[in-house]
Amino acid sequence: MPRSPSAEVGATSATQRPAAGGRSGIGRLVPRLPILGDLRLDRRFGWVIPVFIVLVAAIVGYNARATSQERGSALVVNIAARQRALVERHTKDVLLVVDGFQADPEGSGTALHQEANALLDGGTVIAPQGNDSFVKIPAARDWKIRRKLEQNRRLIDELTSTGDRLLKGGRRDPQYTAKVTRLRVLTAQLSSVSNDAVGEITKHTEASLSRLVRIEIALGLLGALAALAMGLLLRRAGAEQAAQFRSLVNNSSDLITVLAPDGTIAYQSPSVERMLGRRSDDLVGTALTDLVHPDDQHQVTVSLTKLVEAPGATANFACRLQHEDGSWRHVESICTNLADDPRVHGLVLNIRDVTEQAALRQSIGDLLHNLARRSQGLVDRQLELIDELERDEVDPDRLDELFRMDHLATRMRRNVENLIVLSGVEQRRRWSESVPLRDVVEAAVAEVEEYSRVQVGGIHDLTLSGQAASDVAHLVAELVENATSFSSPTTRVEVSGGPAGNGYVLEIEDHGIGMSDAELAEANNRLAAPLAADIAVSRMMGFHVVGRLAARHGIRVQLRHCWFGGVAALVLLPPALLGSAGERPAMAPPVPAGVMASPEPLLLAETTESGWQQRAHLPPPRHAAPAPSRGGDTDAAAEAGDPVE
Amino acid sequence: MAWTRARRRWAWALVPVLAVLAVAVPLVVARRLEPTPAGTPVNVRLEDFKLRRDVPVVPAGTVVLHVLNEGPTTHEVSVIRTDRAPDKLPLRRDGLTINEDAPGMDFINEAEGLDIGDRRTLALHLPAGNYVLYCNMDGHYLGGMHASLTVR
Repeated sequence: MPRSPSAEVGATSATQRPAAGGRSGIGRLVPRLPILGDLRLDRRFGWVIPVFIVLVAAIVGYNARATSQERGSALVVNIAARQRALVERHTKDVLLVVDGFQADPEGSGTALHQEANALLDGGTVIAPQGNDSFVKIPAARDWKIRRKLEQNRRLIDELTSTGDRLLKGGRRDPQYTAKVTRLRVLTAQLSSVSNDAVGEITKHTEASLSRLVRIEIALGLLGALAALAMGLLLRRAGAEQAAQFRSLVNNSSDLITVLAPDGTIAYQSPSVERMLGRRSDDLVGTALTDLVHPDDQHQVTVSLTKLVEAPGATANFACRLQHEDGSWRHVESICTNLADDPRVHGLVLNIRDVTEQAALRQSIGDLLHNLARRSQGLVDRQLELIDELERDEVDPDRLDELFRMDHLATRMRRNVENLIVLSGVEQRRRWSESVPLRDVVEAAVAEVEEYSRVQVGGIHDLTLSGQAASDVAHLVAELVENATSFSSPTTRVEVSGGPAGNGYVLEIEDHGIGMSDAELAEANNRLAAPLAADIAVSRMMGFHVVGRLAARHGIRVQLRHCWFGGVAALVLLPPALLGSAGERPAMAPPVPAGVMASPEPLLLAETTESGWQQRAHLPPPRHAAPAPSRGGDTDAAAEAGDPVE
Repeated sequence: MAWTRARRRWAWALVPVLAVLAVAVPLVVARRLEPTPAGTPVNVRLEDFKLRRDVPVVPAGTVVLHVLNEGPTTHEVSVIRTDRAPDKLPLRRDGLTINEDAPGMDFINEAEGLDIGDRRTLALHLPAGNYVLYCNMDGHYLGGMHASLTVR
């Protein structure tokens, strides 16, 4: 019989994924380049990346330097061209002054000297645009330009000295005409030299610009080649990594599935062909739940729905997936919500085939079940025998001993039933029609050894689905027995009920020693998510049984502290299991073995209106000693006949 | 024999060197083998602002002027046949350059735009007569850039 898989949504995981593996070579030098991501760089990048960086740096540096130089060259051309105008102005000024007009040959001569010096050796001159601003020009470096500018400066010196001599001698100077001619010749020569210098500077600037363009083209081409080489190597490295990853994924026995937010499969690793006999391409775009066993679909859907609401969280669940041949494979899945990761944008499921383990558990469960069934049959026969003896016995002392035997056998039967529950097989004791809830509760109480300490009150006139009656009685009996076992024999255990917004709540309260917060949390975890039968179950078997029974019928069970001490167990019965008292209740279910009618007044239970007979006569409580502490030695508790928690 | 990695690397390094040599050597050889025009050579040196020739008198026929501008500025050299004195050539209206169209001036040839360091060869067929070599850029002639050349 297939067992219902367990589903568990884990707490939000803040665990970071492990960092990329070790790097080698240049990877160590550029460990955090985001563009390289998690690529493991090999030694081939040892030269490509530095070359690329050097090329880019060279292009940028050369551009900056050349641009700065050309700006200076443009200024120099402008200033040199201005020399010609200054020379002509100086000559004119000299001639005007000689002819008795107002002019400033000294100022133009000084300006000529300043600019000639600045052109040759660098310096600050009046800006070409005038407006009294100054610009700095660099020194001439080209030897041809320097030779021409030196000649220019020498001629300016001669021009100004000739002008000075002309001004000094005036028109009366016998050499006036020769000096004027010399002045004009020098002016012409300066004009020629200035033009020549400007031409040379322009030529040099053009050559520099051409060289700059050629070098930039060359550097750009080299940069492009380096980028291309790097791109190819990155692509190759990426392809190698992708192939490595693909090989790992393809040859993994696990499935890697990425679910889109709408629950469809966005990616399916090819290993699905090995596990489920299906092609991964065929599964992409289909819903994962299409593959899930119908009995498991609800739990899987609930788990995934919870996970979708918690980005970054992880959840574990187990379910069955259908093989292409129609068989079912048991799988366990660890699911992580990576919806916030733009590279994934979905839920990542790591699915492992546990069919063999499931079969092993199934066989162990079957073995457990078979043994429990045999024991159950023997105990049932024993109870029938005790029942017969009780009917015929008139001696009150003997009858009392028979009752005690009867009760022990009843507890043995419940322990056997616990094993059957843990084996995953559902109880056969079911009724087709609903039974009164109060009768179910009282029947449960009647199965407890210390029933006399139990006070039932405030149970509403509701009926319980016959399908669930036996399991609910078992569940309540376990909780009541737990309450009586872990509280003082002198205290009472109260069972009451009340309607809730989403069902009906049964409350079992004891006045015992209570539980620590950690114990309470662990117990509630076991109640909410019972594990499969394994070694861990033996520790809190009662809670596991309660949890399993509750899970069968959608019942929620929770423990909490009582304000007056002790523990209260809340059992929330869903509306689907409940009916109103007007419904016709089931006729008396089979009398549980060991329960018989008695003419004596019933201490707690009695023949009810529904005819479900309760234990007619029960022995007094056996234990007068204080109750053992909760969570104590389970073996000792078991030996003492107490329920094992 | 299989080449080692180091040998292959050296071989690749030699490739660009050989490529440069393959282009440069023929160019240099070709330049050296340029034919020199036959005639009487005259070396002319230009500088600011002088014009000097090594031979003042040459035989009639082909005269080859080997002009070198020693700068520093750009110059030119013109050849004119005239019986005027080299420093008495007629000027244009600007008073700065030679009027080559004036009577008694027979312009022969010229070499223009010689930058500093430039060499130029000017082959002239000169009959017997008086010639003047000069630079006709503004102010250069008046600055002293002229020389006579007698062809006999």
